[in-house]
Parts: sequence; structure tokens; C-alpha cells
Amino acid sequence: MAILTRTDVTAVKMYESFVIAGIGSNLEVYTRDSGNFLQKTTALRGQKIYGIVPSHFESKLLIFGGKQFTISRTKLVIINDDENLVIEDDIESILCDDWLHSGVWLSKNKVAFLTAHNVVQIWNAENQSLENHYASPDNSILYSGLLLPLQDNLLVFSGTVFSEVIIHWCGDDKPLQYLKGHKGVIFSITCDPIKKIIVTTSDDRSLRIWSVKTTLNLEYSSKNYWENADIVCMHEKYGHSARVMRNCITTDYIISIGEDSRICFWDLEGKLLRKLVSHKNACIWALDANDKYLVTGGGDSGVILHPLSLLTEYCTSEIVKIEGSVKKVEFTAKGNIVILNGNDLIYYDLKSKMNDVHKLHHKSTYKLLTLSSCKQIIAVVDKTGILAIFIENCKDEVGIKNIINKELNLGNILSMHWVGNRHLVVCSDIGDITIIASRGTDIEVFGNYTLPPCKERWLTSSSLSDNKEMLVVSDRNGRMHIYLRGNKNPVKTFYRVHGRYGATTIQIVINQIITTGRDGVIKYFSINKHTNDVKHMNSKDLDFQWVEKFLDKNVNYICGFRERVFVIYDIKNNMEILEVSCGGGHRSWDAAHYYEKIGGNFEEFIRVVYIKNSEIQLKTFRLSTMVSKNIINGTHSKEINCLETYTVNSKGKTTFYISGGEDTTLRISRSTLHSKFKDEIIFKQLSSIRTLKLLPLRDNTILLVSAGGRAQICAKIITFNEEISTSEELVNYLIKGTDKKRKQNRNWKDYSVDFDAETRIMDIEVLKNEDSNFSIITGCSDGVLRIFLLENESNIEFKMMKEIKYHETCILKTHLFKFVSKDILATTTTRGSVAFWDMEKVCTDLNPIFEMNTNKSGVNSIDIKVINDNNVLIATGGDDNAIHLNILEIKDIDLKLMKIANKWSSDAYHCSQITGLKLVNDFMVTTSIDQRITLFRLTIQSNINCKFISQTYSDIADIQGIDVISFSKNSIKVCVFGKGLEVLDISCGTQLKSK
Amino acid sequence: MGKTSKDKRDIYYRLAKEEGWRARSAFKLLQINEEYDIFNGVLRAVDLCAAPGSWSQVLTKKLRQNTDNEEDVKIVAVDLQAMASLPGVKQIQGDITKVSTANEIIKEFEGLKADLVVCDGAPDVTGLHDIDEYVQSQLLLAALNITTHVLKTGGVFVAKIFRGKDVTLLYSQLKLFFEFVTVSKPRSSRNSSIEAFVICQNFKPPEGYTPTMVNPLLDHKYCDFNQFTGPNRFIVPFNACGDLSAYDSDTSYPLVLEGQSSYEYKDPVQSPIDPPYKDILEKTKCMQIKKQ
Repeated sequence: MAILTRTDVTAVKMYESFVIAGIGSNLEVYTRDSGNFLQKTTALRGQKIYGIVPSHFESKLLIFGGKQFTISRTKLVIINDDENLVIEDDIESILCDDWLHSGVWLSKNKVAFLTAHNVVQIWNAENQSLENHYASPDNSILYSGLLLPLQDNLLVFSGTVFSEVIIHWCGDDKPLQYLKGHKGVIFSITCDPIKKIIVTTSDDRSLRIWSVKTTLNLEYSSKNYWENADIVCMHEKYGHSARVMRNCITTDYIISIGEDSRICFWDLEGKLLRKLVSHKNACIWALDANDKYLVTGGGDSGVILHPLSLLTEYCTSEIVKIEGSVKKVEFTAKGNIVILNGNDLIYYDLKSKMNDVHKLHHKSTYKLLTLSSCKQIIAVVDKTGILAIFIENCKDEVGIKNIINKELNLGNILSMHWVGNRHLVVCSDIGDITIIASRGTDIEVFGNYTLPPCKERWLTSSSLSDNKEMLVVSDRNGRMHIYLRGNKNPVKTFYRVHGRYGATTIQIVINQIITTGRDGVIKYFSINKHTNDVKHMNSKDLDFQWVEKFLDKNVNYICGFRERVFVIYDIKNNMEILEVSCGGGHRSWDAAHYYEKIGGNFEEFIRVVYIKNSEIQLKTFRLSTMVSKNIINGTHSKEINCLETYTVNSKGKTTFYISGGEDTTLRISRSTLHSKFKDEIIFKQLSSIRTLKLLPLRDNTILLVSAGGRAQICAKIITFNEEISTSEELVNYLIKGTDKKRKQNRNWKDYSVDFDAETRIMDIEVLKNEDSNFSIITGCSDGVLRIFLLENESNIEFKMMKEIKYHETCILKTHLFKFVSKDILATTTTRGSVAFWDMEKVCTDLNPIFEMNTNKSGVNSIDIKVINDNNVLIATGGDDNAIHLNILEIKDIDLKLMKIANKWSSDAYHCSQITGLKLVNDFMVTTSIDQRITLFRLTIQSNINCKFISQTYSDIADIQGIDVISFSKNSIKVCVFGKGLEVLDISCGTQLKSK
Repeated sequence: MGKTSKDKRDIYYRLAKEEGWRARSAFKLLQINEEYDIFNGVLRAVDLCAAPGSWSQVLTKKLRQNTDNEEDVKIVAVDLQAMASLPGVKQIQGDITKVSTANEIIKEFEGLKADLVVCDGAPDVTGLHDIDEYVQSQLLLAALNITTHVLKTGGVFVAKIFRGKDVTLLYSQLKLFFEFVTVSKPRSSRNSSIEAFVICQNFKPPEGYTPTMVNPLLDHKYCDFNQFTGPNRFIVPFNACGDLSAYDSDTSYPLVLEGQSSYEYKDPVQSPIDPPYKDILEKTKCMQIKKQ
């Protein structure tokens, strides 16, 4: 059995207090409330699970998918006071002759299925025999169907490719009803005979609610009822922007899921009540709901539990009435609001709804309001420099007290920010930055700095290190300056940190600077403890443009605006938790995260305040009742194109999976146990990531180079740590230049065609030269081999060294190997050729040292093993299903005399493109789109002997490659990847025989 | 995205527009013919799942070269969907699982059977590979089923196939009906694509076989699970087809190709008729899509 499987989740079921998920051919069981993994068991053989149906008669589950079904027993077991669910096989899985769409229990040992050719099959589970089958004359292929067991018979709903639903009485020749109206394939049908509704979803993006009406007084379990019923489409509803895959009917709602990652909640009258985006850009395949929860499974391999609630149920809203013109609002430490209203500062107590008004003695209407990081101290200053400081009462009556009033003689004040709880950073119109601190009822100047000249010369945010030595500020022109105490001028400046505007917040957390900005990015910088040097490490892209601030101390909840919607995002779980359509970020607003004791438990709350139409709107959200929770963490939403693993040996083995995919993300994920797999760092590239390579630099530190579409190359240094891995971005390079550079300053009017070929980087290799100096070799889709130099010394430099146009067609693979003392590169193409290049001379010679043809068309996988000082084994697998082994004989060290000494090939082991091939000791392991992994033993003497040992099935569709995690005498542990990933332990068979 | 970017990304998409083909798949049939000479002497051909009609275009062009009298060439295109008409091609909008469709084809050939049946049909893919592969195999078997009604003994059948996890089961079914079965990948089909084509030559139905539409052909199943993995039982030879000097569909080419001096953007030859998403496009066209 596979050790770890992460792929499309095609079936989910809530059972007792557990969640059962069908992942490939396996069932995985988790506790619903804690999300703990309990069990993984293989249910079907080489077939994805599409349905899990509990029996009403005993503790059994019917599990089906494709042409197979099986039955399992369930048992509740108490282990350490916890309830555990154990699933055991009841029967061996049974192979039917047709695809099964809908399965139901008829009695204790009878099950019925509707097949894709519109046939109802009735199976006796006890003696595993087909008892009956009823073929319908309409035998067009069905994409969906539903069997509804009634008292004496089955009612069959068939969703045809002709966009209609046929209802027939099982066994009858003539259907009872045709539901017409959809414009595309029917993907799901549900029916609630008590509510008298049928719900269908389709390729045409619509959800349709059909009502079943009869004038006669009939029971719905009779044929007469369905024959005479008037079934009309009452509601044709559009809530999804792509195909609607599934739906279900709960007590109060209809839930639909789609290819657009959306979950729509509808009422029975077809009113759209709530839209939820889940499973990150992946299709949602499966759902199950009861009255409290909804569970979904998606194309991102994730399973998510959602509270079955609506926005109106979990949010309390109120409007705070204040006379006058409200300018600014902020939350205080006690969760009350301070309001700047004309020349008044109002403290509003949310509990008593009482105002505490304080007059301000300002001359200018340009006022700045800021709260200390503890939110207890409030500073207000006007442009002329009249500063008033208030403190929120801790114990006494609720309110604020004025503690300092001071006229700052610092010129016109244009910005003011608290840094910590004692210091204020003010910036004047001539660029003087002054840090002031309180001293009793007076203030003192703590430091003076100069902001380099620029337009709009003031600050957008600032932060002071704990030891007060380092001040970091951002100005209106997108620059970030680092100041050290005792030096008026910045020691370092970063430009355009968050595009052309300044950072929205800057925080110094231990040895890290975290900044947010209105470019949809969070940036992380490191501070060297000894030299105080600041270095950009990495960035995190969010899917909302205006990133405003963190709401908690753990820097996990980040909030901001997606156009007119306020968004709160959970970084650790990669999940959006809240949206408030408040109208946009140009208003005054604040948000606070806090805990409150409710019924003995601490509950998490988020409160948002904002001004809209001159009113103060306040919204409070109780997170536990509304926030979805990951049962299984999702990962890539589309195919994984490339993956390498890295194992860290400290306190038990931890394997890291570094993967890049069609979803344009590069992920570093950690896995310990077979149930635990979590993305730790996610990077984005402009287009699909096709290839990546790791190069170990020192213990637990690697150079990671990735490349792909838009001819983009990225390089970073990753350090794997026990807690969380860290990264430093070195290079982000576009061979063809950035869009802006390519278009230069042409606008759309005089935009002319760019004739240059678009190029994808198909494969990449990294060669360590000396010290921190690397050659990066890229094989590109335009047939060009491009070689770059990366220097990572005091400065990072990346430049192209050579472009070699030798191959006429797309290069598919590049592979480096060392032969004696030479570094040799092999390149393969879509025309089946393999060429060899001497890395020493590659920049001067424009032709390869040797070339041969192996496969009939594209060579999709290659591995090379040096046998001795004269012979090299070249193993290739390709689009022609064939594996080719060639012994390349190299007679001299100058690589002049080369010939093929021996050959072996076979197309008998895979029936589809061979996308992965690895040579491990005396073994060769290959994999293919056909989802098989084949193991061979090689003996190379005077000829090549390649012996088949075993073949293993993988649940991963569209396999793109294989990586060897580890190997021993007895087994090889590999990871195959494609639409998901799977880790398998493959026995080498040697041990078994000797026993 | 500029309108030329698709031209850049896909050389055959662009060539199809420049040469007047309705879809890039025209090149696949042309390249299959280069290798297997399937049009040799063919006068009566059936194009199953014909829309948008690029294979019918190829058939018209190529079969007319087999005779002096264009009237002798008979091409029938069958599809569920409506297709813009093509001169010289008789269209049947019908279901290939119905006997009536088979009879209509034979009627069109004046009682004679077809020399060649081609099928480039593919289902609407769901994104779940096993379902897509299954539906594709059912489409191919439906095509094979109607082919057994309309193809002459010794005739040729060419169809699209997905080389997925159970493709050997399909090969074994095809081998029952044809003497030679090969699988081929034209240069114009992408390396990364799961699609390939089966070229089935010398139609020879098993003795005693009577074509029927009542019980559709089903794909074979593994006799037991031991067959599920292991060396292939049915090895079908693979060939790459198309001239080595032909363009390669995975390669990126500049807009001005070698030997050309200029580039001009061309509109697609035929845009889709009545797709399932038509209604929602109409509905959202004048409306700002709101998030909540």
C-alpha cells in the first residue's frame, strides 16, 4: 500500500463523529472535531472511490468507483477515552462490466447500482453475484444518475449527455418523465421526495430546482405518483462561473459545488444565500452535509469542514450614532472605539453605548490619530504640531484620560506613528524625522533622522527595534530606509519595496522585518545580529491587492482589501476566513482580534469597524461558528510537473517535498507520518513551473532553482529547520525580459506585435563551479540551450553566458553527469534524439560531442549511470512507451571516440508515455501516464540484461515523474507525482526469494 | 493576453488558420495519412463526431485526388451537434448509437459500405482522468460499433484514443475486429497530451458476429486482478507519424517563421456553434460580476 497519497478527493462522507474521505483507491478516516487522522485503508483495486454509502441496516459501508464496488464493516472502538472508527473489509472488491454512478442499499445484503449505460444492476453482497439487471432503451452515456429506493421498487434518474434527465421506474420499458431545459451535460441529480424537489446541476453553469406536483392524492412511493406528477423547473439559477459538479439538499438549504472552487448556499426557493471560495482555485469534487456541517473534497487534495451557517447567523452588526462629521475610528485595548469627530475625540463604550467626549485644542483640521501597539495610548496631533496624548483607563470607570498636551516645535507635521508603547515617530514637511518619548507629563526627543528628499516627503509606516538601535521607515515613494542610532542618514535603502507606494506596516519581530503593502505582498527581511545588515529574504503573495496589517501577535491573521471588500486571511492555513463588503480601503477602518469567554470556553472573535456613508458600522464575528477548518491540508490545485525530495535526519526523519506545478506555485511541504503533509512555504511564478533542481550547499541548506513558462528562472536558498523552514530569494529572471521592458513605453494604441517566440523552460540543471558560483543550464521549448552564471558572493549576479541553437525542436530533458573528471550534459528532444555536451567546451563549441537517436518520438525521461572508465549506461523512456538502454563506450578521456557498444529496448512494460525513469544501484524503476511503476534488475556484462521484477499501481493520474526518496537492500522508496503525489515502498524482491 | 499569443504558443493552431482548416486537428489526419496511406483508393468515407469539420475538410480534399469524377466521392459526417456546412460533405445530425444513423449512412452510399471510417471525437473532459478516459473509450467503442455496421471487410478505421491506465483493454477489443492495430502519434499532437490515434487496418469481424445496437460493445475487463499489473498482454506497436521536417507542436516558434518575410494575424476559420456556456455568457455580458 502507498505510504502517502495526496490526490483529488472524489468522495467524502460524515459518519458518526468522523469524516471518511475517498482519496484514490484508499479510504482515510479522520475525527471530525479535532481533525485527527485515524486510519488509512485500501478499499478498491486500482480505482478511484466515487461513493461511500452507509447502510441503514447494519454498520456497513458500500464503497464504489469506476467499475468496482466493495463492502466494509465499521466498528467504534474506544482507545484512551477517545472514540475511534475502524473500517475493515467485509468482502473482496467486485468488478462489474460497466461504470457505476449511483449506489444504494436495498436490504441487509442487497445493493443496487445505476451504470453509465443506463442499466440498473442488483447485486447480492453475500454471495457476490449479480441477481438482476435492467437495461433501459436509452443507453446513451450517463454522466450522472440517482437511484431512489422506494417501498417496492427503485426510481431511476438518469442524466444524459443530451442535457436531459430521464426518470423511469426500474424495469419498465418506457420512461415516466423527461426533464428538459439544461444546455449541457448533467453532472448531478438529487431528489427529496418529502420536500417534493429535484435539483440538477450541469455543464451549462446552472443549478435547476424542479418541483414535483400532483393533483391526485398519491404516495410518493407509488409509480402512479411519478407518472402523473407535473415536474417543472421552478428556478434556473446561476451562482458559479464554471461547471457545477455536485449538489446536495439539507434541511434548510441546497448546497452546490463547482469547478470554480465555489460553494453556493441556496434556499429551497433558489435564493443565493452565501458564496464561499474554498480549495484554492481547484475544482471541488465531493460534498456531504448534515444539519450542522458541510464537508468538501477538492482537486487540491484537501478535505475541508465548514460550519453549515449563513453570514447573518454568525455576525452581529450595529451602527454607532455620532452627530457631526466622523473622520477616523480605531479600536482600543478594551475593544471600545475612539472616534475623531471634528475637534472632538470621542471614546465610545460599546457595552454601555456611552460617549466620553474630549475637546481637542487644535488649530488645523489636518489631524493624525495613532494608537500605541498595546492600543491603550492614543496620540492626536494636528499639522501645526499640537499634540495630545490620552490613556485608556485600566481599572476605574471606562474612559480615557488626557495625560499630555504639548506644542511640538517641529514645523508642519505630516505623519506620526507609534513605535512600541513609548515612542512616537513624527515626520515634518522638510523631512525631519523625530522620535519623541514621554517623560512624566512632558515629552523628550529621543532621536533625530533625516528622510532623503523626495516628492511627498513623509512616512507611511515605521518600526523601532527592541533595543532602540534600529529604526525602519517607509516613505511615500516606495522606499524603505534603515537607520542606526547615532547616524542621521539611512545606512541602507530599499527601493520600491511595495511598488510605488510606501509600506502599509513595518514590524520588527526578533531578527526579522515584516512589511506589508498595497501590491498584494508581504515581505520578509532578515537582520544580521552582528552587523545589523538587512537582507530581503522572501515575499508572500496574497490574493488581495491592498495588504494592510496583521491582527495578531503571531503574525498570522492578515487583513486588507480586495477592491471594495475587506478580507481577513489565515497565513498558516492558507485560507481566507472572512470577507466584509465595506466599500473599500479609502475609508477609515480598524479591525481587532480577541478572545472572549463563552460558556466556559474561550472563543475567537474578530471585530471590524468602518465608516460608510458617514456612519460608523460595527461588525462582530465569532470565528468558530463560521470559519472552515482543514481536515486534510490542500496542496497544488493542478498537476505537479516537477518534484524533488530532501530528507533531514534529525530527531527522526523528516522528508521535505519541493514541488512545482501547473498552478504556477512552488511549494515546500513537510511530511513525517503518512497522514501528515503540509505546505510550509509557497512561492508563485508568473506561469507554470516545469522544472526544479536542488543542490545541497551545506547541512540542511540547499540551492533551489526552478523554471518554466514565460522563460522565468528563480533561484533561492532554502534552510530546512525543525520548526519552520526559511528561504532567501536570490534570482528572479526572465530570459525574454519583463513585460514592461518588452513593450517598452508603448501604450495600447501603438502596441505592435512582438515577433519573438514565447519560450518555456522545459528542464534545468545546476552545476557547482567553485565557491558560490554556479552554472545554470536550461533546455528551452524553442530548441535553444541557454547557459547562465549565478554568483552568490557579496553581490548576487545572474547573467547569460551562452545561447546554443543546435536542436531544431523543443528540448525536453537535460541531465548532467560526471564521467571521470569531466562534466557531461545530455539533452533530449521531442524528436527522440539524445545529445551530449562537454561542459568545459560548451561555451566555445557549438556542436555536441556525440548524438544518438533512441526513442521514436519525444524522450520524456532519462537517467545515466557511469559503469566504469569506459562505459556509460544511458537509459531513456519516451512518448513511444519504450524504454531504451544504451551502453555508450568512451574510448578516450578527450571524449573524441564514442560509440554505442550495446543496446536493449522494450515497449512491453508500459502502455503510455514513460515520464519517469531512475537508475538505483542495480535497479531501474520506471513510471508512466498509465499509472504503473515498474521495477527491473539490470546486469551489465558483455550484454545488457534487464529483468522485470514487479509492477505496482499508483493512484496518481497523469504521472509526470518519479523521485527516489531512499533505498535499501530490500526496497526502494519512491515518490511519483502528477495529479497529486504518492509515496510508495517498492520491494526489490531479493529478500523474498532468499527466504 | 494579446491576440497573437495563441498563434505563438501553438504553431499548428496558427497554420490551421492560415491554411483554412477549421481546427488544428486537420494536420493530425494528414500526418497519419503520410505514414499509413489510409486514403489510398478510398471513395466512401465516414467522419464520426465530425464537428467542427476539419477532418471532413481533409477527406474532401484528399479523396477527390483518387478519382477523375468528383461525384464518385461520398463523405458522410455524423455529429450530435450542428456543424457549419461543407461542400461535398453530407451531414447527419444524429446519434452514433442508433441503428437509424447506420442505415442513413448506408443509404447515402447507395447500399454500399464505407472504405474508411474516422473518428476524432473527444468527450467534454471533467478533469478526473479516469472518468475522461472511460467516456473516451465508450465513445471509441460506440464508433467501433457503428463501424461494424457500415465498414466493408478489409476497410480501415482510425480513431482518437486516450493512452490512459486501461488502454490495453481497448486494444484487445479492437484486435478482435481488425488484423492490424497500431497506435500512432502525429507530430502535430503534443508530447504532453494523453491523446494518440489507433489505426485499425483490414476489418475482419469475428466469425458469426452480427452487428447490433441493442447491446453496446463494452470494453474488456481484466480477467482477474493479477492481470492488472505486469507486462502488457496486448502490445500494440507505436509509431510517431509526420515528416521529420514538419513543425513540432511542442516547440515555440517566432511569429516570422524561417523562410517567411512577414506575419499577418488571421481570425479563426470557424467559431463554436452553440456551446453549453452560451447562456451564461449572454447573461453576464452586460452585467458586472459581483462577488456577493
